[in-house]
Amino acid sequence: MNSGILTLALLDGVSYAGMLFIVSLGLTFIFGVTNILNVAHGSLYACGGYATASIGLWLMGNDGGIINSIFSIIAGTLLVGVIVGLILEYLLRFFEKKPPILQLIITFAFFMILEDVQRLIWGTSPYFVSTIVGEMGNVEVLGVFYTNYQLIVLPGAAVIIYFILNWFLKHSLLGKKIVAVTHNKEVAVGMGVDAKKIKKITFIIGGLLGAFGGALASPTTSMVPGISADIIVLSFAVVATAGLGQVTGALIAALIIGIFRSLSIYLYPELEVVIPYVIMGTVLLFKPQGLFTVEKARRI
Amino acid sequence: MLKLQSVCSDVAGINVLRNVTGEVHAGSLTAVIGRNGAGKTTLLRTIMGAVEIKHGTIHVDGELINHLKAYERSHIGIGWAPEERVIFPTMSVKENMMFPCQIVGHNKGQVQDRIDMVLDVVPQLKAMLDRSGAALSGGQGKMVALGRALMVGTRIVLLDEPFQGLSPALAREYGESLSNLRNSQPDIAIIVTESNAALLHGIADQTFNIERGEITN
Ligand SMILES: Nc1ncnc2c1ncn2[C@@H]1O[C@H](COP(=O)(O)OP(=O)(O)OP(=O)(O)O)[C@@H](O)[C@H]1O
Ligand SMILES: [Mg+2]
Repeated sequence: MNSGILTLALLDGVSYAGMLFIVSLGLTFIFGVTNILNVAHGSLYACGGYATASIGLWLMGNDGGIINSIFSIIAGTLLVGVIVGLILEYLLRFFEKKPPILQLIITFAFFMILEDVQRLIWGTSPYFVSTIVGEMGNVEVLGVFYTNYQLIVLPGAAVIIYFILNWFLKHSLLGKKIVAVTHNKEVAVGMGVDAKKIKKITFIIGGLLGAFGGALASPTTSMVPGISADIIVLSFAVVATAGLGQVTGALIAALIIGIFRSLSIYLYPELEVVIPYVIMGTVLLFKPQGLFTVEKARRI
Repeated sequence: MLKLQSVCSDVAGINVLRNVTGEVHAGSLTAVIGRNGAGKTTLLRTIMGAVEIKHGTIHVDGELINHLKAYERSHIGIGWAPEERVIFPTMSVKENMMFPCQIVGHNKGQVQDRIDMVLDVVPQLKAMLDRSGAALSGGQGKMVALGRALMVGTRIVLLDEPFQGLSPALAREYGESLSNLRNSQPDIAIIVTESNAALLHGIADQTFNIERGEITN
């Protein structure tokens, strides 16, 4: 195997893992706090990506540029994360007292609806706005040319978000309330936490993470129908491998799955689709709770 | 201070509390005595709003609180130490104690004053403040749960089987803390549940015997 290809595969893997981690974090966060496995999380990624590309296209009419690209990423994330997150939370409110499996089906139904909404708004032809990638230029790494955007921005965003979320949960009052509700809702409420509000905020944070993943990915990949399903299965593999609700675990699992996935793309492209499941299956075979589940109390 | 009138409530669709009536006065300690499954925990959870009241009324200082949201009850000065303690493992003991005050919106000065008061009442907590909430024994957890309940329990303090699992020495210290509390905060109404009446003998001002969800005395 050529070392250039190996370097390229590793860089691709790390970069993809950065994006995958951000999306998976949203999925595992919502599950950790509310016990709902949100299938519609893939749609948040897709809508975030589409919205960012659309806003980008609309702005580039003026002058293109990094500032416009950054603005479109932020605007796409906020718009989709908050709105879609809140709609989902609202829908689920009607099924609060129903069995978890029904709630899962509702998120699946919402996913199907959003699939059509995407077709309605953006049609079926690919959206691709890579201005920011071009403008940020390339860099040579071990003899391979690679884009600064994928090398620095994607993994950097993942690391920053990882630290911010950990800090937020440990040290801010809102974060502590979220942890308290996760640990014991009734007692948290008894201390004065408005659990309904916490649930809403959780869906917004989870939604923002999903949409941000899509927004960040949009300059590097075309937005096409079907990406929601692709990303939800991948992030589910990450979350299950790590153990549901595990933040640090998700970071490591995203790296493992990201790197093996891109290695297979270069070496055995026909295996790309199955690699995440092979990893997940192998892990779950030996550790059914996931790699990083320590004790229940430590979820999120 | 706290007045229950014909209170009924259900747990998991089964009627548990049946026409519970009783009054608890400021500055008094009320023992709620009953065997396992009698409904002691359900009574406290109903007062906290964790269990929905089906029938009857609950008043605090003359104000009807039936419709007060569960999360608003700590705001009116009710502190609760649940039976299973539930000390948050991701926070230190001090953070656990400050947490309900911060939620209720007390400022730093108020929180510190309250901590000082609680440490006077439960001096054993001083040595534990910086310890992780995950590193407590069952008995220590009961002490922390008491301290935490006192942080916001400016009017009413509900203690659910606090003596359960305490060694005799620790149970004595816990009893001392309760009498410290009554000296230092003479206006608080305290409700303590227990299955063994002897443990609260001499401490309690009044006793409610509860049997199958009914007060029998
Ligand atoms: N989660 C639940 N599901 C069904 N029934 C319950 C549940 N929790 C309590 N009960 C029923 O409610 C009744 C009262 O329970 P409660 O916990 O209030 O009793 P208790 O007096 O606190 O008992 P203990 O001394 O064991 O703590 C019991 O008969 C029990 O069977
Ligand atoms: Mg009980």
